[in-house]
Amino acid sequence: MTRAQQTLSIGLLVASVYMVAFLGLAPLPAVIQNELIPVLPIWAIVSFGAYLLFKLGYGVLTFNDVPEARAELMREIQEAREELKKKGVEVD
Amino acid sequence: MAVNNTLLDRLVGLAMLALASAVFLYYTIWTLLLPFVDDSHPLQSAFPPRVWAIRIPVILLLLGGAVVGSFLSVVMIRSNRKKALKARQKEAGKKSS
Repeated sequence: MTRAQQTLSIGLLVASVYMVAFLGLAPLPAVIQNELIPVLPIWAIVSFGAYLLFKLGYGVLTFNDVPEARAELMREIQEAREELKKKGVEVD
Repeated sequence: MAVNNTLLDRLVGLAMLALASAVFLYYTIWTLLLPFVDDSHPLQSAFPPRVWAIRIPVILLLLGGAVVGSFLSVVMIRSNRKKALKARQKEAGKKSS
């Protein structure tokens, strides 16, 4: 089962359960039916946005510099520049 | 230049974390918990009327969509103008040669 199929089936399942609740096909207490069910999709979108922001902030918080990788990368860039210049390609 | 995880970076990350958690908590209480709370409870006074719980995200989404759309259109118009200019320059070059 591919990832797309998996996502699609989970999405369809959630959508059908929500439709049943939204259209009142399953009896629910009045408060839940009238006030809670209609706001669930927007709540899901807002929560998803908050989750993404959380993940971003956490990544920024725990991101550490790696000086050895930087030195190695600069060295590789220099080597690539020299090779290309030898072969006549314009470099920066 | 090898500064490990400067204080400013950590503060920004922490601020994003705090903002995300605060928004999530406030919005969850607003939309999911308040219907079950009596109208006379003091907690109700900390939240605006529930219609706004729908209006604010929708307005923000529409604004965000408008900003992204206008940015995209400006970039596309600019690139098309450059392409047209280059094509015109090529034609002029061919004619004169």
